[in-house]
Amino acid sequence: MMHRLTLLRVRCAFAAICLALVCVAPRPALAQNLPQLEQEAMQAAVSRVAPSIVRIETVGGLERIGKVLLGTGPTTGLIVSADGYIISSAFNFAQKPTSILVGLADGTRTPAKLVATDHQRMLVLLKIHVEEALPVPEAVPENEMQVGQWSIAVGRTFEGGQPNMSAGIVSGLNRIWGKAIQTDAKVSPANYGGPLVDIRGRVLGVLVPLSPQATNDLAGVEWYDSGIGFAVPLAHINSVLPKLKAGTDLKPGILGVSFNGNDLYSKQPVIASCRPNSPAYKAGLKAGDQIVEIDGSPIERQAQLRQQINRRYAGDTLKVVVLRDKERIERDIPLVDQLEPYERAFLGILPKRDTPADPAGVTVRYVYPESPAAKAGLLVGDVIVSVDGQAVANREALIERANAWQLDKTFKLEARRSGETLNLEIKPVAETAAVPAELPAHDTVTAPAGERPQVGRIDIKLPEFKNECIAYVPDSYNPQASYGLVVWLHPPGGTKEEELLARWKEACDKQNLILLAPRSTDPAKWLPPEADFIAKTIAQVRQTYNVDPQRVAIHGFQGGGSLAYAVAFTHRDIARGVAAVDAPILGKPPENEPTYRLAFFVTTAKKANFAEQIKAGIEQLKQLKYAVTVKDQGDLGRQLNDAEFAELLRWIDSLDKI
Amino acid sequence: MPSQRCFAKRSLAKRLPMLGSATYTKSFALLVGACLAAGLMVAAAAPAQAETLRAVIAQTQPKIVKIYGAGGFQGLEAYQSGMLISAEGHVLTVWSYVLDTEEILVVLDDGRKFKAKLLGADPRLELAVLKIDADGLAHFNLPAAVPAESGARVLAFSNLFGVATGDEPASVQHGHVAVKSQLEARRGVFDTTYKGPVYILDAMTNNPGAAGGALTNGEGQLLAMLGKELKNSLNNTWLNYAIPIDQIVTTVDDIQTGKFVRAATDEPEQKPEKALNVELLGMVLVPDVLERTPPFVDAVRSDSPAAAAGLRADDLVLFVNDRLVQSCKALAVELEFIDRIDPVKITVIRDQELVDVTLAAPAEKK
Repeated sequence: MMHRLTLLRVRCAFAAICLALVCVAPRPALAQNLPQLEQEAMQAAVSRVAPSIVRIETVGGLERIGKVLLGTGPTTGLIVSADGYIISSAFNFAQKPTSILVGLADGTRTPAKLVATDHQRMLVLLKIHVEEALPVPEAVPENEMQVGQWSIAVGRTFEGGQPNMSAGIVSGLNRIWGKAIQTDAKVSPANYGGPLVDIRGRVLGVLVPLSPQATNDLAGVEWYDSGIGFAVPLAHINSVLPKLKAGTDLKPGILGVSFNGNDLYSKQPVIASCRPNSPAYKAGLKAGDQIVEIDGSPIERQAQLRQQINRRYAGDTLKVVVLRDKERIERDIPLVDQLEPYERAFLGILPKRDTPADPAGVTVRYVYPESPAAKAGLLVGDVIVSVDGQAVANREALIERANAWQLDKTFKLEARRSGETLNLEIKPVAETAAVPAELPAHDTVTAPAGERPQVGRIDIKLPEFKNECIAYVPDSYNPQASYGLVVWLHPPGGTKEEELLARWKEACDKQNLILLAPRSTDPAKWLPPEADFIAKTIAQVRQTYNVDPQRVAIHGFQGGGSLAYAVAFTHRDIARGVAAVDAPILGKPPENEPTYRLAFFVTTAKKANFAEQIKAGIEQLKQLKYAVTVKDQGDLGRQLNDAEFAELLRWIDSLDKI
Repeated sequence: MPSQRCFAKRSLAKRLPMLGSATYTKSFALLVGACLAAGLMVAAAAPAQAETLRAVIAQTQPKIVKIYGAGGFQGLEAYQSGMLISAEGHVLTVWSYVLDTEEILVVLDDGRKFKAKLLGADPRLELAVLKIDADGLAHFNLPAAVPAESGARVLAFSNLFGVATGDEPASVQHGHVAVKSQLEARRGVFDTTYKGPVYILDAMTNNPGAAGGALTNGEGQLLAMLGKELKNSLNNTWLNYAIPIDQIVTTVDDIQTGKFVRAATDEPEQKPEKALNVELLGMVLVPDVLERTPPFVDAVRSDSPAAAAGLRADDLVLFVNDRLVQSCKALAVELEFIDRIDPVKITVIRDQELVDVTLAAPAEKK
């Protein structure tokens, strides 16, 4: 590196004097020009690959996706085939442009068509019509890549059309579940879609924003120019090029197993459940099987399994070895791109909350009429102690077990009733969307002596956001009790604070709820990026107060209701319920998943402004097998009346139903 | 100033490795100082350029000054960087709100503090020249500045984030010239009055407080002055750039010699009195309902310039006089800059082919 090498470049006369003072040893003359030589090599490398780098411009399309304002600026592409195929980053097309123009190195512009998308590695393939063969760059074989080697990120996005370069080194290989090369060269929209080249001008990979967690078109953009950038190896791209050229979109492959617990690194990958009709299910894998090998690689932790699966495409076949009762079972399993929707299996009870750890078990707070629990004879006050012979310590443990239940698959339930043991057979059914007409009252909570966080009406301010936000915490707040959290997202124009508190104060006090009411920066409307602000205020409240994670509901009217959907869809770990009044869905509902449960309380009205969209949204949610409670408001959409509001409160109070 | 700063960028930038102040201990700096004094004596006999990076840095740092002035509220930093350009205390820096005060303080590399006088400023070039009362200062010789090519290794000297105080030397960053480009590009892309060529850098140089710092090559030869924090509205990324000295040397000289006549601060691009519009051309575009409605031609009025040029319904307008128009709004704006007496070249896409036509609006009846 520069600072080390230049030490060698001490001129003799100067060095002689310095020598006495700082003992800089003179070095052979050979190395003297190394920095210069490196600079020239980098410039030559960029020149070598430059003819294969194109500039891409688009017309039309979305202005922003979620919180990210999409630029209209030129982006970069790399020629991968002499007959006019160009690979680029899917980021550059996230706005779904109407028209695409490709500018070749000589400046000529040509219209391009989008041929196919690799949703797994976030790439797109474009095609332009060419008269002459285009220059195709040389790929570095993956086995030659080394951490520490020079890597130069190249784009073609600045005015003047010259390639822009950023130098760095390869920081890591097989990143993001084995999909990408990592570099410390500056990677940003200024070069997404361009190549990462070695010091010889051969292409290591194609620059894309990637994130180990998120998978949408824009994931990883927040890391731009920050010392971490990613490139999908060109060698890999070349291997899937025939499929892409044929117009086949490549999608992530799904096996269809789920595991309990979020610790990827300590847990043995023991299957908690196989989704019905998933590849794993069809191959005969079962809950309790431990995955020990995939395609010959030993698997000891969930993370290794993710590493293996998250780089595969739908259609790829995995050789999976599981251990079942010490027996090795081997299966070839073809991955799919989509699973049949998951439908939550329902026992039919509400658990009592905040019960002491001893005795272990789950006390039944309420039994749904006609439910499997009711049919089996379970009563309020019974204590569920085990499922299929395995002890359940508390509500959380039972919810975790319930995540693996399948519709119509019988399980054994053991419960205690005043010293007596009950052994019940339960055949779960689909989760009900009906809200109980009456629920047992909450235990009265009294304020404890001593210190506790602020109660009553509170201002909440996050330094990084302009938004204002108030909260209401019951005066009787006691950190020993857990509280439900309701986030109210006001309609356009806002909600008067007095009205809001008049509506909610009593309910909060009676039902152990905390109310959070953020305000949009523009009183006239919410902007999608504000979902992030809302998520962060929720996190802040959860840090300060004892919030029950199973009872967090986002509630809004009209524009606020639409944002409620967006918040819940984009921050799945936060919300367990969406109550959207007279509001169409914003964003695409995610798949229903056992571990991210989400219930909906929505209203319809014949002549509502968005009646059709609201109806279509409900259909969408139902198809994904979510529990959707629908209230018809008649002709016009409006705020909830008292009866509807009372039902909403009961719906919130039953979000942790099992 | 960009009203919203990217928090991530700033906090990350803080963590970026610096070769400068952070790694210098005081005793080491003294040692280098001693080296330097000895080196300079030799230099008088044989014109030896300092060629080691360490020596280059040690020679350059005394030419960088810390400037303190107005600001310090609403997230606006009350400091920036500058470079000495004469032995008598002329300081080149960027023109900014920091200088908008009677009390401008300049702190030299050796910790000496001076009240500075604003000699002159050219907001168009975003530069200002200050004067402090001192002599015998190490300085850059602006006319001796050199150009740099894309890919050239560079050093950036500045007091980014105001991290150096008193006699602490300026911070040094290293990187490359990513590309030589223009800031003018398309209208409204950059929130700056400077419209000339710039060096785009691949290092995070343009942080708060860094503006006015120096960009040199590996030999310590001056290349450019670090610009302000600037967001590229084309892709919403922060831009690291520096203004080549050859773009500003004449103006700086004029200010120094008292010849500079302050130009109007802002010269908005001239719009013609009677501009063109789509109706005059006889084009009817699709209803503009989206943020970025693609400018499709919905219909062409008969006997219009558009009809004469052979434009058709469903053509998508891509360029107006070779400027890309990405939406109906952009098309309307672009036409506002064209006088209705001038012919206009329109490029459309039709059946995946680019088609160029030239249209002239009918002369107005007197």
